[in-house]
Order: sequence, then structure tokens, then C-alpha cells
Amino acid sequence: MTRRQLLLALAACAACALLPLVVQKDYQLNVLFRIFLFAALGLAWNLVGGFTGQLSLGHAAFFGIGAYGLALFHGKLGVPVWPALALAVAAAVVASVLIGGVAFRLRGPYFALATIAFAEVLRNVAKNLPDVTGGDVGVQAPPLFAGAISRSFYFAAVGLTACSLAVTAWAARSRFGYYLMAIRENEDTALSVGVNATRSKVSVLAISAALTAVGGALYASLFLYIVPDQVLAIDISNEIAIVAMLGGAGTVLGPIVGAIILETASEVFKNVFHEAHLLIYGVLILLVVLFLPEGIVGALKTLRRRRGKG
Amino acid sequence: MALLEIDRVSKHFGGVRAVHDVSFAVHEKEMVFIVGPNGAGKTTLFNLITGFVRADEGAIRYAGRDITRLTPDRAARLGIGRTFQIVKPLRNLTVEENVMLGAFQHTGRADEARRRAREVIAFLKMERWGPLPALGLPLATLKRLEIARALATRPKLMLLDEVVAGLPTGEAMALAELLARLPEWGVAAVGGVEHVMQVVMRVAHRVVVLDHGVLIAEGPPDEVVHKPEVIEAYLGAKYKERGL
Repeated sequence: MTRRQLLLALAACAACALLPLVVQKDYQLNVLFRIFLFAALGLAWNLVGGFTGQLSLGHAAFFGIGAYGLALFHGKLGVPVWPALALAVAAAVVASVLIGGVAFRLRGPYFALATIAFAEVLRNVAKNLPDVTGGDVGVQAPPLFAGAISRSFYFAAVGLTACSLAVTAWAARSRFGYYLMAIRENEDTALSVGVNATRSKVSVLAISAALTAVGGALYASLFLYIVPDQVLAIDISNEIAIVAMLGGAGTVLGPIVGAIILETASEVFKNVFHEAHLLIYGVLILLVVLFLPEGIVGALKTLRRRRGKG
Repeated sequence: MALLEIDRVSKHFGGVRAVHDVSFAVHEKEMVFIVGPNGAGKTTLFNLITGFVRADEGAIRYAGRDITRLTPDRAARLGIGRTFQIVKPLRNLTVEENVMLGAFQHTGRADEARRRAREVIAFLKMERWGPLPALGLPLATLKRLEIARALATRPKLMLLDEVVAGLPTGEAMALAELLARLPEWGVAAVGGVEHVMQVVMRVAHRVVVLDHGVLIAEGPPDEVVHKPEVIEAYLGAKYKERGL
């Protein structure tokens, strides 16, 4: 890390820490929570979808396992909340190894379809096991924090984002990260220089799943109640992927930029346009896909490179 | 002991005998060229040795070890490097980063991998391309990049699939001069070449000729090119009597 990047990171941390002094309303803090939550989820997705080029559209599976893991390990088995969170993360990692082991045999769109299928299977399992998951009615999730709840969750989301960012920054310049990018660029070439592609892909999916599960648990704990159609919904998978792609898949900071723009826009649209907000949200995504296929940060990088040359 | 032994290996794709009952050996620091017209089975043979394709019959041994059923990444980790006939650069990475991926085989540190990559890049005289993305580079550079990436893994055996195909003669000969120096890196190389015979004559210690998947001749380059069956495979039966 260069000096300038280090200073910028410290400044960003300070700003995030001081923000609650200015923003004190629960509603505003909750919006900020959502922004940072999705920044963290987008960063986690980006490790798989951006750096490794494996388009997952099923990250709701890990999000949901985090949420349900926390709720069920605590509520059904009586595990204290923080160990329950750890167990939920472990469950997501196990699931990721199983899912990855099967889905990574497939390439391109088939992989994406397989990830959707896994998340949908989990959602339907959760809906149809009322004795375990509470079925469609849902289940209670325990609070992770007591007192100053909105602020605590805000800090937790910022912390998760910082964690995801640190993993990403490490991945971008380590051997492991180069292996991931080589797999994205050309899997045969990666194999020809000795990269164990399957192991790298499963490893990165496990890291991504762990971070995503923490996000799911935070979400569940903030709302205190979860149902399958909310935490295991395909909407969650899509939103995570869109945040990363909007900001720039495969870039370090892209998902953060994407989360700020997408979550702010969706909040504003919700308040201003009411029922029409999904329509406008859809148009926004369409415009980005058509005109900024590399995402915002990706497009800026390309622009800077061209300027540098010319 | 031979570094690489191909022992009666066959691979059929449906009714096509891509490689049929082929046997030969390569010794340490030896430059062997496999020549043969388009479709002779050169690429299939390379894919068999590197585990991208599984043999139907026969055995492949590397340094005395059976590698017939090895996966490509394990073959690479054992010290078998390869280039691809249809170049496969990591397009959005720079030339230097492409070569670093090879170097990561022996170091986990990015700065050390970069240093080793630069050595290889200097050897192949590609310094000026180092910082550029592989995307959109000219073919001659991409061909060298294939070699650089494989060489950076510090292989004992390198399989060069048509590394001079499609290059202008001057560039092909310049590259041949570099290939002739590969034994300095402790590398034995097997090159596959369709018809750039000047390069073969300059570099090869030994030549193996394939035709329709069958080994039809083997020996020192200047002997092999005068064998009637080789002339027939390349030019047709009516040239067989006339000689070259």
C-alpha cells in the first residue's frame, strides 16, 4: 500500500467513525447501515464474480444461511449469540464448499444458473420445513447489540466493509489474487502455469461466503425477524451482484461506489416516486449495463489509462 | 534415463486417429522438434503430455514417473511448461503480470515474482512491452509472451506448440536464436512445427515426423528431411522419387 492510499484509508475510517455524531436519526443510520452492508456484500461477491470471473447469482444462499444460522443456532439450540454467529458463518463456508464443488464443474452461464438453483432450493427448503425454520411464517433472530441499536449496527456494517475491503486489497496484490485473475482471464492458461483452478475457486467462494454470511446475520439481527422470501430471495442475490457490477466488477473500490449510488438512489426513489421506484431502478441498471459495462470505477480506470497513453 | 518417454500412445477422437501408437523419448536439455503437416497430431500430443487430454492407450513417463493420467496443473507443477498454438494471454493483465503468473510457481511473494518475471522478459527481449496490457498486442509479441510465461515456471521440459507459426521469416529466425539458448535455462524443449523448416534446422537436435497421427520418421534434422516418406507426407507421392 502506498502512503497516499494508507492516508486515504485512515481518513475514510475517521469519517465513518465520526459520521454518527452528525447523523443521529435512526432512519438515516439505517440507510447508512444498508449502504455499508451492501458495500461489504458487493466486495465479498466481487472476489468471486469480479476477480475470479465466476458470475454467481446465488449469493442469497450464503446471506440466508448467515441469517438463519444465527436465528436457529441461538433460538433452537440455545447457543449464545456470538458463537451462534460464528457457527452460522461456518455453516455458510461448508455450504460454499459443497456448492462450489458441484457448480464450479460448470462454466459461464451454466455456473450462474447453478448458483441461482442452489439459492432457490435453500429458499424452498426453508419455506417447507416449518418445524425447523418456521416455514413461511418465519423465525425470530436474536439482537447482537443492546442499546444505541442503530448506531451499533452502523458500526458493525462499517467494520464488515473494512474487513471485506482489506481482504480485497490483499487479494489484488497477492499470489492468490493473481491466481484468481488468471482463472478469470483464461482457465487453460492458469492450469498451464500450475494453478489448481478448482481449489482456488472453492477457496475464494468460501471466503466470500463467510463475509456474506456475516452480512446476513447482521441483517437478521437488526430486523429481529426473518422469512425465507426476504433473506433467501433472488432479489438479494441480484442486488449484491448489481452493486458490484455498477461500481466495477474486478476493481477494489467499485462495490463501495456501487453500494453508495445504488442504495442512495433506491432510497430516494422510494421516497419520491413511491410505487414507480422499481421501474426507475430498473432503467438505471439498464443504462449502466448499456453504457458502462465495466462499471463506474472500471470506466474511470480505462479513461485514465487512455489519457496516460495519449 | 530419458526426461520424457512417450510409450505407444494413442488417442482417437471418434473415427479420427489423432495420435496412433506413437513412441519416442526426449533427454535433458535436448531440443526435439515434432514436424508434420496440419492435422498430423502435434497439438494432440502436447495436450496428452500436459494432461489436457487423456490417452486412450499407452503410457507417458516424465523423469521416470507415470504422468499419463495427471491433471494439467499438476503436470505444470512437476516442471512441464507449455505454450498454446492459439495464443492464450491473460488479456487484461500486463505482459509483466502474465509472466509473473509463471514465476509464482516458485515464490509466494509478488515482488520476487516480478523480479523473476523481468529476467525472463529481458531474455526474450520484450522489455518495452512489460507494462502494457496483453490485450491487443501484435502476434509476434504474444507468441513470445507464451514462451515467457512458460519459461518463468522454470520448467525442465517445455512444449512449444507452433511458436513461430504466422510470424514473418525475420522474426521467426530471431525467435529461433532465442529458442536455441533454452538449454542454458536447464530446459529440454519439444517444439511442434508445421512448415517453418529454417527454424527446425537451426534449433533442433533431433526431429520426429508425424503424419496423420503416426510417427513416420525420426533422426537428426538434415537426415530426416531427405527421407522419402517425409517428402511424400509433405509434398505428395510424385516428389518421392525426385528427392528434395
